[in-house]
Amino acid sequence: MAVYSIPAPGDPALQPERTALAWSRTALTIAINALLSMRAGFVAGDAGLVAVGALLFAASGAAVAVGTVRRRQLTGHRLVITPPRGALIGVAVATLLASIGGIASIFSGGTS
Amino acid sequence: MREPKWHEEGHQPDYRFTLANERTFLAWIRTALALLAGGVLLHQFATELDPRLVVTVLSTGLGVVAAVLSVVSYTRWRGNEIAIRTGRPLPFSWVLPALAAVCLLTSAVLVVMLLVT
Repeated sequence: MAVYSIPAPGDPALQPERTALAWSRTALTIAINALLSMRAGFVAGDAGLVAVGALLFAASGAAVAVGTVRRRQLTGHRLVITPPRGALIGVAVATLLASIGGIASIFSGGTS
Repeated sequence: MREPKWHEEGHQPDYRFTLANERTFLAWIRTALALLAGGVLLHQFATELDPRLVVTVLSTGLGVVAAVLSVVSYTRWRGNEIAIRTGRPLPFSWVLPALAAVCLLTSAVLVVMLLVT
């Protein structure tokens, strides 16, 4: 993607800041699902779910990293508007993986 | 990753629209993750609710909706980005009314179950 950057416009609606914060919130939400998946894995004794949980923790860490990059890109005198390459697809794939893990947790090991 | 073709269409949009579109994508992703967490929590902690089959169906349904939303949020982000670049109106989507219907249905079933149990 051709990167698109502009001089900082001094946006009074703080849109750059809100966008950077939205990434941090998303990272936190992924971490919550990672915890849930790990708990389900330990309760049901299912190594697969524990692995999904670990993977989701990694995804959450990656989202924190993207959030940090985004905060740097969206502060200062020049704003980089184009989101980091592959970041959006990555988040969508992590969510898809979390959903598959969540559905698997419902059917593994019966009721706790 | 190859340069996507749609990224050469149209003109660079107002930066506020691009950032708002990115935030909307992230908000949809969080909605999907919240629905998923709700489904998993329902199954793990609502052990007193009967019949068990309905709980399983509800939690699985929430997980499936989360999976669909994760894909839809990306395709919608892409569609909106193209529409903004080419100056066309934003595409209409059934996601919003459908999501409201899912939430209404889930809460209705849960309320009935809580009253009956």
